[in-house]
Amino acid sequence: HVVQKLIESMPGRIAEVLKKRAQHSTKFTEAYLKNCIQQPTRLDVKNIVTHKAVILGYSRPKKDKTKRNSKKAKGLSARQKRTMKVFRIKPEHQRYELFLPLHKLWGQYIIDLCGGLKPTSLCGETLILQLITCVLIVTVVRSKCPSYVGTTGILIQEFKHVFKIITKEDKVKVIPKKNSVFSVEIEGFVSHIYGNKFELRSSERSAKKFKVKGTIDL
Amino acid sequence: MLHHVPNSLPVHCVTTATRLAAVTSRPNEDQKRIRKKLNPVKMCADLSRTPRNLLVCERSSFLDEKNRLSFQVEQLRFNYKVSLLLPECGSAPSHLESTLNSFSRFYLVKKLPIYELLDKDFLQNAVYQGSVYGLSFGTRIDEDNCVALMPNGRLVLSLDKDSYEMLGFEGRPSRFNHRTCSRFVVPVDLKERSMAPGSPGYRRLLRALSSHLKLQTDFLISHHPGGGASLKALLSRYDWSERRPEVCSRRLSDLVCPDLRSCDPHSLLEWLGAADADVSCENSSSSFLSTLTCPEPTTTLAAALSASVSGLLLPQDVQRLVEQLRCHLQQEQTASWASVTVHGFADGPVSWGDEEHGVLTGGENFYNLLMFQDHTYRLHLATGPQDGCPP
Repeated sequence: HVVQKLIESMPGRIAEVLKKRAQHSTKFTEAYLKNCIQQPTRLDVKNIVTHKAVILGYSRPKKDKTKRNSKKAKGLSARQKRTMKVFRIKPEHQRYELFLPLHKLWGQYIIDLCGGLKPTSLCGETLILQLITCVLIVTVVRSKCPSYVGTTGILIQEFKHVFKIITKEDKVKVIPKKNSVFSVEIEGFVSHIYGNKFELRSSERSAKKFKVKGTIDL
Repeated sequence: MLHHVPNSLPVHCVTTATRLAAVTSRPNEDQKRIRKKLNPVKMCADLSRTPRNLLVCERSSFLDEKNRLSFQVEQLRFNYKVSLLLPECGSAPSHLESTLNSFSRFYLVKKLPIYELLDKDFLQNAVYQGSVYGLSFGTRIDEDNCVALMPNGRLVLSLDKDSYEMLGFEGRPSRFNHRTCSRFVVPVDLKERSMAPGSPGYRRLLRALSSHLKLQTDFLISHHPGGGASLKALLSRYDWSERRPEVCSRRLSDLVCPDLRSCDPHSLLEWLGAADADVSCENSSSSFLSTLTCPEPTTTLAAALSASVSGLLLPQDVQRLVEQLRCHLQQEQTASWASVTVHGFADGPVSWGDEEHGVLTGGENFYNLLMFQDHTYRLHLATGPQDGCPP
């Protein structure tokens, strides 16, 4: 206030200039001080509140699972399969004539696929193995148990250890794969399947590569 | 050329360190029949076990009503060779000569499919009458598939593992498989009701032999005298030839011979084999070919006759020959003994009766009958390792 007294004693025009300069310098000082002090952005309340959403609590919305599963096919458990007897073919369906057209159809598929099944064609053993899934005429050629030898029929079902075959006399025969050699005829080509090496589910077999391991002796 | 069957027992059988003898005797008022079973086991440092040979010895008399000679002769159904040794005999007497020449003829059929033996007419005319003997020819019992058809209506197939698995008819593993089953025997009784033509069992066997396993071998077939017509239908369909048994005789001079009553069985059989094979028993120091000697005490025969017949010979013919020899012994005063050796087939599926037969080191199955003037005889029945006990 010494300065103030000096300013009051001075003539009028010089006092105005000094007042402007004082206002200017206070403004400058404020701005400079603000810049010097670092302000962390998270404490910058204004910014936070204006732009971002605030999470008040942790609760994710529940996904609707049932909706997603209805697109996938439902599987049955083993117990349900047994009670429902899905894989049993009823006696009225156990007729040889019924399976014969299916067998012809499958034969056609194979021909179309392999383009005639010539010896020179690229249809290798792996392809044949994948094709031998069902509905082919199968004969037991050799077996450790003599009573199985000679049974011929259309293959209706294949399980892990067993073939189910229907013979011309409309009898369903269950033949274990182990220790038997089966022969399959596809359009004049006879292939022999060694049952010992074939004890896989057909779905797994399509992915499996066959290695020559062990003996083919029964 | 038919199978060659060794005439004498293998030498290792003779040089034995220990013997196990089981003696069973049934004393009779008149004669004693002693039956010895000698089972020689060679105890050697480097061999823990050698295959055994079985020799059954019997002494009896023709006059004893309990003697089983005819039964024993009947049981060896497939005879390959009959050899005679007659002492003090320059040439064969006429009746013996005629007997030797009258052995039944047999037929050799080339490439006979075995399902033909199941033909209805053949079964009706031949098999059911019980007059057919058949054996596969040129097949080895330890390598190939062998077939035998016996007069009691039984058909025996001896198959290797692959053939059995392909055949599809129920059988059983061979008794002589060591660890792995490599040989199977399928016995079929054709006279049974389950195998009557038209029955499921018959149809299954027919299908098995004609489509699953097309078994085809050369076949020797023979029949009882008078039953020739039954075979004609079967033979006419295939390439067949009639064969006569081969007869050959030889005169031996200065034959050294042991005391036949007291000689022990092994050395006796060895000596008989040497005489038949014309091997000298002198054992001279300069010769290294054979060290066979005649058992002591010895006598020398001025002349002896050795004759043999070979082919598919029937037991009835052998029986007739034995009877003729008995008569000869009674008539001739100079001859004090006569020896007959009958060999079975080394490669047949059966030896005595229905017993299974196999070849390990040798397939011998034979018997030797030594007859004396006083109606007594010594009988030795011998088999190899893979055989049952002779009757």
